[in-house]
Amino acid sequence: MSFHLEKQKTGSTPYVLIDEAKGYIRFEGESFHENVMGFYKDVNDWLDNYLKSDFDILTFDCNMDYFNSSTAKLLLNMLLNMDEHATEKNKVVVNWITTEDNDIIIECGEDFEEEMTSLEFNLVISK
Amino acid sequence: MIDMREYYDMVKKYNVDVIYSGPLWADGIEGIGGTIRKRMEFDQLPLSSTQAVFSIFVEQMNNMLMHSADTKLIGENSGRMIPPSKGVFILGSKDKVYFVQSGNVMRNGSVDTIKSQIDYLNTLDKPGLRKYYKEQIKLENANKESDGAGIGLIEIARRATSKIQYSFEPYSEGLTFFTMYVTIGDGEGARK
Repeated sequence: MSFHLEKQKTGSTPYVLIDEAKGYIRFEGESFHENVMGFYKDVNDWLDNYLKSDFDILTFDCNMDYFNSSTAKLLLNMLLNMDEHATEKNKVVVNWITTEDNDIIIECGEDFEEEMTSLEFNLVISK
Repeated sequence: MIDMREYYDMVKKYNVDVIYSGPLWADGIEGIGGTIRKRMEFDQLPLSSTQAVFSIFVEQMNNMLMHSADTKLIGENSGRMIPPSKGVFILGSKDKVYFVQSGNVMRNGSVDTIKSQIDYLNTLDKPGLRKYYKEQIKLENANKESDGAGIGLIEIARRATSKIQYSFEPYSEGLTFFTMYVTIGDGEGARK
């Protein structure tokens, strides 16, 4: 049975979806809860296992409006983990989705993209 | 009884929009944060200015939650005692220049580290801060023990228009009162 997780957004945590059957993760909203590590623990646990398996595809849609510095640290860690396991056979696609007026998220996406070597990183900026 | 008229006049004199003082909780940040955003909406600022103020607020709160020494255990949650940190947070504005000021009690042992971090951040320009932020995130990711407090300070420096102003005053045996002040915005009276 493939893993499925869905968490609705709260005032300080984002909507989270993991659909293992499709190799798909989505974050949407804001992330500034004090206990960031605790909130994303089940996502990280799943990701570690999935990346170690012989997967075909992992797509990560990261559509955040705002996140704090602890979340930034955690996101970069996740991305580096994905990048380390990305190959031609085990494809990883990251869509960093934001709007053109969100300077903070755009800058952060640009900075994180520079650290990636193997995965496909798309900065998706809409009006 | 507290003289509320005196308090009101002081708040007015210093152009204070939002003031919060008392116990800090992780969940409480949402509520005060919402009030701050509402206040900023009135000025119809670009998203980047609202985000800058909000981000400085969040990082200061996170820092206070982590480092405030004025805690006593009250209440219990899922078998765990909750230590609420105490602090004071103020958002004020004049002519669309915002100031954010916070104060909390901390242990003397943390003073030197925080002081030298702020002094260093104040020497960097915006591109320098952006670069330093990424370097530190990578460093902290390599060292899992770190709690990320240093990164919070860098984020504050990145979003502020001014340098970070601060003071450390002796509070009581072993404790120091830490005040931090930054401004956001390019209007008249903005301190670079």
